[in-house]
Amino acid sequence: MIIRTILSRLILAFFTLVAVSILIFWAAEILPGDIAARVLGREATETAKSLFREQLNLDLPISQRYLIWLGGVLHGDFGKALSSQRQISTVVLPRMRNTFFLAAYAFLLYVPVTVILSTLAAIQRERFWDNSVSVLTLIGLALPEFVIGTVLIYVFAVNLHLFPVLSTVQTAQTFAEKVWMTTLPAVTLMIVMSVYSIRMLRDSLIEVLDSDYVRMAILKGLPRWRVVISHALPNSLVPALNTMALNLAYLIGGVVIVEQVFVYPGLGSLLIEAVFLRDAPVIEAVALLVSALYILANLFADVMGIMLNPRLRTG
Amino acid sequence: METPISPPDAPIVQNREGLSSRLHRLPKTMLTGGVILLFYLFVALTGPLWAPYNYSQVATGKPFETPSLQHPFGTDQLGRDVFSRVVYGTRVDLYLALTSTLLATIIGSLIGLVSGFVGGWVDQGIMRTIDVVISIPFLVLALLLIAAAGPNLAGSPPLLIFVVAFVYAPRIARMTRAVAVDLVTRDFVTVARTRGESVWSIVWNELLPNATGVVLVEFGVRAGYAPIFIGALGFLGLGVRPPTPEWGLMISENRPAIISAPMALFAPAIALAFLVIGLNLFTDGLARVLGRSVNRV
Repeated sequence: MIIRTILSRLILAFFTLVAVSILIFWAAEILPGDIAARVLGREATETAKSLFREQLNLDLPISQRYLIWLGGVLHGDFGKALSSQRQISTVVLPRMRNTFFLAAYAFLLYVPVTVILSTLAAIQRERFWDNSVSVLTLIGLALPEFVIGTVLIYVFAVNLHLFPVLSTVQTAQTFAEKVWMTTLPAVTLMIVMSVYSIRMLRDSLIEVLDSDYVRMAILKGLPRWRVVISHALPNSLVPALNTMALNLAYLIGGVVIVEQVFVYPGLGSLLIEAVFLRDAPVIEAVALLVSALYILANLFADVMGIMLNPRLRTG
Repeated sequence: METPISPPDAPIVQNREGLSSRLHRLPKTMLTGGVILLFYLFVALTGPLWAPYNYSQVATGKPFETPSLQHPFGTDQLGRDVFSRVVYGTRVDLYLALTSTLLATIIGSLIGLVSGFVGGWVDQGIMRTIDVVISIPFLVLALLLIAAAGPNLAGSPPLLIFVVAFVYAPRIARMTRAVAVDLVTRDFVTVARTRGESVWSIVWNELLPNATGVVLVEFGVRAGYAPIFIGALGFLGLGVRPPTPEWGLMISENRPAIISAPMALFAPAIALAFLVIGLNLFTDGLARVLGRSVNRV
């Protein structure tokens, strides 16, 4: 039955993606103003404009244009950028690689930090570490990404000179250099993701630590660290895993701002550039890719939730 | 997820009780949050009366001055007084955050309640549409809407309010629909239906009063994030236009001064953070008084 549940979620996700693509295309295509006049300039002749429109299929109804666009997308062809006339796929690909790099880095930092800090807080319940973690996460909840990123730049780049102010990674750089340049944005994303999950994991750890079998383990003389590692953590990790998977989905939207703060050449900053240039094909391509990743991440969280919760398996 | 309906269990307050003991019964988080919010409200309402300079007055000092008695938070690139701009900004951010959340709550809860009450294919259609809208990361959705609105509307407060409301309304509708679906099976709704009352009358008179708790908490949760949302759009240069003293925009404008006059960007950041803390503390307390859990997804 579990396979059927997952399969139905997959099909649902597919239809959602199709509907999202329609919504995105429609929103980007109603951009006001004559595209031909914008690209070719005011002095362009009527014939040049109409030729341009024909080239971009602008003379066709929107539903037909959508189908042509979708056909291209399915072949990996997103069309040409209006502003630079370059193939969008060649522009998007390196940006996507950068965004994946940043997101993976942030996620790798996020998991251990969350587990360690929440365990520390749960063991030290209502004492120094727990209270500090609680206050810190409360502050973290109130700080937007662009403020956290700016504070990190101020402390670690401007004052301590440990990291660069801007994270403009280039393809020629070595892996180590890229890691070094991406550290501050990755830490920013890590902080935003972990503040909420630390509080959650701490609460579920405390619940487990209060349970009878943990008390039994302590009574039979197991050392405290072994109780935590072999009894408490595995049992409280299950609800936390779902939060972690959901954070993966957050990550995909959250990079948009963080990339802009650090001038990091990823998908998010590409999207914002395209919005400023009102470059509809690029907006469509990036919004669709980001939404597809977001839907996939949510699907992943969903499937994980089903697999980890025996009661949902029959659903 | 279905929200279980618990009877409204607000503390029973006797009339003879004094105000201080009544306040004492409220959760501490709510009181702290309330005090912070009152402070912001006070600054927003009276700020222009006592702010030392006008928000757009340039060259009140040299560019990017460090804090002094004359300019408590220093000055920005155009020599404008950052303290005055932060004070004026309270008005801008509070207004944008509260009106957009209010609009989202009204539209979202009406859609949710009607959808849950009517049921059938109308309900299915509305909910699937909402699923699609929610499947776009909210910032990407906001950017799409701003792009679609075009350059003439860009930067206008009504557009921003509309964008934030459009992003929030589907999420609120989902929550209130769950309440409506549960309420529809209750006897008093069946009675109202047999009496032949119209959909609107039932939603207004029977469903809404019973969903007040959920609607209030939803409003609080969304309002708690709205300043960050609006600040982020301002920071990206897609919020209100300069010289409007919006905090997010100020943070991005004053970033070049991160070495010479960091207070110029930390002052609006701190103002923004405390507003968010105040809103969240108040909402957490409110949720406890109403006996509801806070769901920040």
